Amino acid sequence: MAHIHLGEGSFPLWALILWTLIGTGLIGAIVYRIRKGGIKTHQIALAGIGAAASFAIFQLNIPVWGGIHMNLTGLVGILAGPLLGSLIALVVNIFSAALGHGAVGLLGANTLVNASEAIVAYYAFKTLLEMDWDVFPASASAATLGLSAGAVLMGAIIVVSGVNGSALPRGDLTIAVAGLVGLNLGVAVIEGLLTGFIVQFLASVRPDLVGLADRDSNKEPTGVTT
Amino acid sequence: MQHWKQYGGLTALFAAFLAAGYWGFTSTGGALPWAKRSAKALQRGTKEGGGSLVDFGRGIVVAGPIRKGGMMVEFGAIAAFLAVLGFGLYIYVDRYGGLKNDEQPS
Repeated sequence: MAHIHLGEGSFPLWALILWTLIGTGLIGAIVYRIRKGGIKTHQIALAGIGAAASFAIFQLNIPVWGGIHMNLTGLVGILAGPLLGSLIALVVNIFSAALGHGAVGLLGANTLVNASEAIVAYYAFKTLLEMDWDVFPASASAATLGLSAGAVLMGAIIVVSGVNGSALPRGDLTIAVAGLVGLNLGVAVIEGLLTGFIVQFLASVRPDLVGLADRDSNKEPTGVTT
Repeated sequence: MQHWKQYGGLTALFAAFLAAGYWGFTSTGGALPWAKRSAKALQRGTKEGGGSLVDFGRGIVVAGPIRKGGMMVEFGAIAAFLAVLGFGLYIYVDRYGGLKNDEQPS
């Protein structure tokens, strides 16, 4: 899903500084809010699992749409929340960049992209549940919307920054980036479906993990219990 | 909310995004979110045509920098470590009811 794979030196220096500063500001605000508000213990466990799943699937290239990788940031946002979800996005990007997947200089930009996916997915999921949607369509839609937000932000970052060495004028670059964003929207459907199935399963066995304990308190679990 | 509205909305969302995805795939000559061709599209612009939409014969591969750099063991170790840590925390919280209040991270 949305992830800027351009190499080191692809963005001009001012753009690197700009996205790094904005990314640092976002992470700083999130850390401040976490320190002030604390974290529920079950979220820590979910964050660990989410980071592991996201990092692992980040590195797997799947032969659909010519070759894609998923992020699971929508799932991470729904399970761990927008604050921890954003921190997970940072951690996964650092690990990936250390392995050569994504430029180190683009950590700020890529963290912004992936954090936006987690944040939008979380709030979309909550909103749809408040509208009395079922878990599967709510989580699948929320993840898809979150991932699309990340894709659009990724495109905007590339267009605003420009690409060093590109022969394209800004208008043509925008069209090329629009094509890549479109591709990501298609992939978002696949990842959204996967997220929907996972969240639906979790909701059936541990509704408290997805914030549905109150909603389903009068229902018997339909799956395996732990 | 009625089921048909929920699933109708989901289907419409998926249909629109799949159409956008297919357009992106063809307009960029089969460029990918993660591939050399996506960089090429940004350097040289979009083009018509494209590769095959699905190529299962290629299989699922680990990211090139990891695979070619001989870091498969490290990748597996990191993924396994994070998974074990996550599941360990999950079991700990589930079994013992979580951390005590004075242990809760501030």
